[in-house]
Amino acid sequence: MDDLVSRALDLAEVRGAGYADIRIVRTSQERISLRNGVVDTLSVDESLGFGVRVLVNGCWGFASSHDLTGKEIDRITALAVDIAKASGTLSKGAVDLGPAVTSRGTYTTPIEEDPFTISTDHKLALLMDADQRMASVKGVRSRQGNMVFIKEEKTFANSEGAHVEQTVYEAGGGIAANAVGNNEIQRRSYPQSMGRQQGCAGWEYITAMDLPGNAERVATEAVALLTADPCPSGIVTDIIIGGAQLALQIHESCGHAIELDRVLGAEAAYAGTSFLTTDKLNNFRYASDVVNITADSLRVPGLGSYGWDDEGVPSQSTPIVTNGEFVGYLMSRETATGLGLTSNGCVRAASWNRVPMIRMTNVSIEPGTWKLDDLIADTDDGIFLEMNRSWSIDDKRYNFQFGTEVGYEIKNGKLGRLLRNTTYTGITPEFWNSCDAVCDADHWQMWGTPNCGKGQPGQIGHTGHGAAPARFRNVRVGVL
Amino acid sequence: MIGRDRCEAVLSQTLDQPNIREADAYLSVQDLSLTRFASNDIHQNVSHGNAQLHIRVVVGQRQGRATTNDLSDGGIQRAAKLAHQNALLMPEDPDFNGLTIPGAPPQVATHDLDTESYGPASRSQVVASVCRLAEASGLEASGFFRNGTQETAVLSTKGARAYHAGTFAGLLVMAISDTSAGWSKGGSWRIEDIDSDALADEAVDKALRGQNPRTVEPGEYTVVLDPYAVDDMLSSLSLYGMGAQSVQEERSWMNGLIGERAMSPQISIWDDGADLEGWPVPFDAEGVPRQRTQLVQEGVVLDPVHNSYTAGKEGKRSTGHQFAFTGPPVASNLFMQTGDSSLEKMIASTQRGLYITRFHYTRLVHNRNCVMTGMTRDGTFLIEDGQLSYPVKDLRFTQSYVEALAGVEAVGSQSKLVLNEVGFATKVPALKIGRFNFTGVTV
Repeated sequence: MDDLVSRALDLAEVRGAGYADIRIVRTSQERISLRNGVVDTLSVDESLGFGVRVLVNGCWGFASSHDLTGKEIDRITALAVDIAKASGTLSKGAVDLGPAVTSRGTYTTPIEEDPFTISTDHKLALLMDADQRMASVKGVRSRQGNMVFIKEEKTFANSEGAHVEQTVYEAGGGIAANAVGNNEIQRRSYPQSMGRQQGCAGWEYITAMDLPGNAERVATEAVALLTADPCPSGIVTDIIIGGAQLALQIHESCGHAIELDRVLGAEAAYAGTSFLTTDKLNNFRYASDVVNITADSLRVPGLGSYGWDDEGVPSQSTPIVTNGEFVGYLMSRETATGLGLTSNGCVRAASWNRVPMIRMTNVSIEPGTWKLDDLIADTDDGIFLEMNRSWSIDDKRYNFQFGTEVGYEIKNGKLGRLLRNTTYTGITPEFWNSCDAVCDADHWQMWGTPNCGKGQPGQIGHTGHGAAPARFRNVRVGVL
Repeated sequence: MIGRDRCEAVLSQTLDQPNIREADAYLSVQDLSLTRFASNDIHQNVSHGNAQLHIRVVVGQRQGRATTNDLSDGGIQRAAKLAHQNALLMPEDPDFNGLTIPGAPPQVATHDLDTESYGPASRSQVVASVCRLAEASGLEASGFFRNGTQETAVLSTKGARAYHAGTFAGLLVMAISDTSAGWSKGGSWRIEDIDSDALADEAVDKALRGQNPRTVEPGEYTVVLDPYAVDDMLSSLSLYGMGAQSVQEERSWMNGLIGERAMSPQISIWDDGADLEGWPVPFDAEGVPRQRTQLVQEGVVLDPVHNSYTAGKEGKRSTGHQFAFTGPPVASNLFMQTGDSSLEKMIASTQRGLYITRFHYTRLVHNRNCVMTGMTRDGTFLIEDGQLSYPVKDLRFTQSYVEALAGVEAVGSQSKLVLNEVGFATKVPALKIGRFNFTGVTV
């Protein structure tokens, strides 16, 4: 392997590259999904390939291949150089990567039990058990359950002397029940919506979820939602957002908004830019003073946990919002240099055949001081909202609208009637400045988002978001 | 590209492994090159190729799967063995009746040598030209220019044998000023069809006309939609309900509407994977020829598309819509019937309304009637007294797409091909819709 790495880096230099790096990635993925008691998918996916990235006269070129041979290394490296030269046709200036990156070492996700050593029978039995318990609830129309296990072995080396090897494990699982009736369709998921909860972890992550132990409850709640009262329409009220939903709120309204490549316009033609322009760094009240947000790639089992990013920069923790003030971005080497800063290690590629770009690490709201019971008791009139059902935000990360699977009315400090079709909407800085309480570490959990889309060609990123329930004042709810 | 012979050799070798009695293999080979630009600067320029071999082994009523991109003898053997092992571990599925026996797919010639060989230097020249046009108007251009090839091949022990090689090309242009943006997108399987100057002009014109937008209050408006916005409507209706799996599980917008006139009589929608006016892929991942499937006829909702599994549950034949190796059936080559109107006529006939270029970040709010939320983007204008009055700040809508299509008042006589992800395209006209519900406005 080292021979192939050297071959690419040496050839890139000979062909005129001022900088080069290579990633060789082998990925194994086991997917099991159950649909209405039937195994929908039982599959093992394996992928191996490499990508070469070069700077020629300060312009980028990237090429990749699944054929890991010396001859193909030569061809792809030459192609990357040719592409970089073509990029020079339209260039506003040479890319400056800042200080050299010379990281060396190895990293492996700390896990207790390798999920690939657990028998398929055992995994299937666990999902079947959960499925049967959901099926036992009258009124459930369809059920889903799934598990995903990923092992990614990656070598990164660059022409500045960096050479790191990493093995990252991911484990994910989840169940969902759908109920149909009363001219309604309702869904409840556990532990997370959109398929599953996922983390950089081993088999122990799955057993801790206790999918069978939560199956009947989930199914019962889905059926109960069919006859629940609808969310009050178009009113402004106080809301307490549960951790799973707040994780996605952070993802969309903070995590994407602080990607410095997006801020600088790199994603303008796709999902858009960001209102958090560079003049706002250290000069903008993003949230109320009870809000502290951190980007941290050391926070296992968050899905944004690793040893080094795909530029060889070590994992680290970065304050993003401190007591409500906006103080940090997610950065690459190139974008950080433009601000006179150094990269905080936030660059990853979805695969060997995708170019590395800024991705969220584990962007989390830090725990506050409240117990959830006390927070509810402190709320005279409002709604408790949990588990995402729909999400949408504008192209500057200002105007958002989220739907949740479930809501509960809060009256006089107590949880009341169940509410269906709950939605809320707002403008990002107004919303975060209305936050007046965050629950404490006992309620804080790391949530996984394994479906984050960005880039053209598209890349699916895996990000983590720690969150605890939090209260927001005077929010518009019930838009449907 | 690796060519038909190599594809068929890999598939034959896959099915020739020990212990395999019934199986199919699906090979997908893609080469993609893409030059991405932002702020009148090329900031990403990439090329990649991959070949993914998918194997499904059937043992009785059990099916196991494996995927690999290692096409060596050892890689194929290992994947076939894993798929077989997975099949043996599966419980019996009473609804699975074995592999289907498909007919021969039609030959559709969508491979263009010029498109395949178009290189990074040529792409960069086009991008530079687009950016110069934007710069000349004081704007910044962002977007991408891509080209590539897609080979798909299927072989099964039940006689499926299919191969298709196609090319694709696409240019997306977004022109941006301090207060506005314009957008255009063109695509074809022939690169010569991409008129980069026209696309740049379209985006620049929208951006210039959209400067200094004013805020209008949310509420119900008549809307005139560019084909880009209609593409979002049709894509969403497909994603959230035109496949039989979602209908069978009663979570489709089609449920309760099949056989009913739920949309305007001016609306007819069909899927056709063999039509050269679209982005043809003549067979699906099971090797079944894609049938032309009428989904909405003059406003009446008809049956969804099927794969072999969903069809088997209803005693029907697959319509050839297994989009990927796993997952549900998807209508992915969609067409909407054109009418006799034009954007100009639609605007001229509108007393007060909004002209919308496209929708952004649309998501399902409720399955019933496909209620969606999203934003307008890249060119939104108020219409007053039959004329574009002034540009407006983007609005959020929360609106049933089914009910919106029930209120169609005019359909454009021209349709536009909108290529999305590889293998998914719509060809749609502009529409005028009587009522569309806006629930918010951005900063």
